Amino acid sequence: MSAGTKAARRRAAKARNGAGQPQPRFFGASLPGFHEEELAGSLIVLEGSDGSGRSTQITLLTEWLESQGFAVQTMGLRRSYLVAEDIDELLANNAVTRLTLALMYATDFYDQLEHRIVPALRSGMIVLADRYIFTLIARAVVRGIDREYLHGLYEMSLRPQLTFWLNVGPEAAFEREFKKTHAISYWEAGRDMSLSSDLYKSFIRYQGMVKKEFEVLARRHQFIEVDGERTVAEVNGDLRGRIAGHLGIRSTRFRPTSARTPAWR
Amino acid sequence: MKKALDELVNPQAAEIEPGPAEGMRPAPRKEEARPYPGALVVVEGIDGSGKSTQLYLLKRWLEIGGYRLHFTEWNSSELVKSATKRGKQRRLLTPVTFSLLHAADFADRCERQILPLLHSGYLVLADRYIYTAFARDSARGCGTEWLRNLYRFAPVPDVTFYFRAPLEVAVHRILSGRPKLKYYEAGMDLGLSFDRAESFRIFQGMIMEQYDRMIESDNFVVMDGTIKVDRLQRKMREIAGERVDLERYRPGKKP
Repeated sequence: MSAGTKAARRRAAKARNGAGQPQPRFFGASLPGFHEEELAGSLIVLEGSDGSGRSTQITLLTEWLESQGFAVQTMGLRRSYLVAEDIDELLANNAVTRLTLALMYATDFYDQLEHRIVPALRSGMIVLADRYIFTLIARAVVRGIDREYLHGLYEMSLRPQLTFWLNVGPEAAFEREFKKTHAISYWEAGRDMSLSSDLYKSFIRYQGMVKKEFEVLARRHQFIEVDGERTVAEVNGDLRGRIAGHLGIRSTRFRPTSARTPAWR
Repeated sequence: MKKALDELVNPQAAEIEPGPAEGMRPAPRKEEARPYPGALVVVEGIDGSGKSTQLYLLKRWLEIGGYRLHFTEWNSSELVKSATKRGKQRRLLTPVTFSLLHAADFADRCERQILPLLHSGYLVLADRYIYTAFARDSARGCGTEWLRNLYRFAPVPDVTFYFRAPLEVAVHRILSGRPKLKYYEAGMDLGLSFDRAESFRIFQGMIMEQYDRMIESDNFVVMDGTIKVDRLQRKMREIAGERVDLERYRPGKKP
């Protein structure tokens, strides 16, 4: 095959995929009854531990993108209509094995993928995901569920166009979480894993384990690592820069409205 | 297999350094020795194939003989009942979420009921098993590989009876006895037909096709569901006795 043909094909592929996304949109098999070419929007994922500032960043990014004329849809864990309540109940009662819980989270995720993410992307919206399959995989792996099993489970999920990892150390995460709620939740501390009877130690160990698994995922899925211990404005500037590049937005200047300024520190 | 579940849900895995990505592990092989003293007997087949009647009779025979046994059904746990109900009532379930909810339900039953019983030396009789999910969900369009991976934690049965009756016979048995077919049960979500009975007929045919494909790969014992009930039951007892060392589950025996 001549070099010219190859280049032409690359150009054609780039044109087909809009913003130049060379990879297939699904990790593995596609969702039943689903066609790739219908998707016009972009999926942008923010991952990071509790206290990494994800939700704040998503609020700010939404405002910025809307000011630039982009329609935004968000998603997050345990937000499906189908099973969110049931998962809340299972967590509250701690009455479930980890495999069952992992499968309930998968149900919650796919319900949102099919009923929220795909329809939004189909109509050309930007989907901002507050956590994605990577958190679900990491949490399940540290609880002893096979990594490849989980990747197989989530193979019908969409490959994000950008995946940011807001990386913060467990100690900084603890301080931020504590400031927010003045208590540490049972699950954030990984207390179901019997790591330590001391909640602080348990939190640090658990978040450390999840972070280690994220390092594995970051290599495998080309995360964009962002130092999440800096100020909200600094982190937001980094995110805007990468997203602007992806969406072809010329200016990354942004000042949040007064409603958002308390977060802008 | 216990071994498969241990590999999948390993309490020590958290201590293991994350290594490079490994390839997908295949499903447990059938030839592997059972790592538990119990035994698992499964019946499969489309609605109206006669499987539940036959398993009931097998169960009665063993119960009357005083054997250590437990009977389990597909989709019987409380865990996901509210979600399944919500999804079905509002018709929100897609092939994927339908499949996942049933897998979550089965995982719960498997970890809290089937495996502990197998480990404590029970004879477990299951009316429908993972092959129901394979047949039904792949008929709905889920990928076979995805489904096989999803249920990788399930122990492989000692014997799987596949009850097979001609489609028209099986469907007639159902339609003549129970006129009210539920939406998902009839496969209405697939848009096969506006007529519920007709949709059911087509859907059952698709499921049967999927079952037939597993006969060889999953070592099914094919049972002719048109044979007279008592004769078929004699045959079933005979085969169960060949495939499972029933003596071990008799009264007074330590498994």
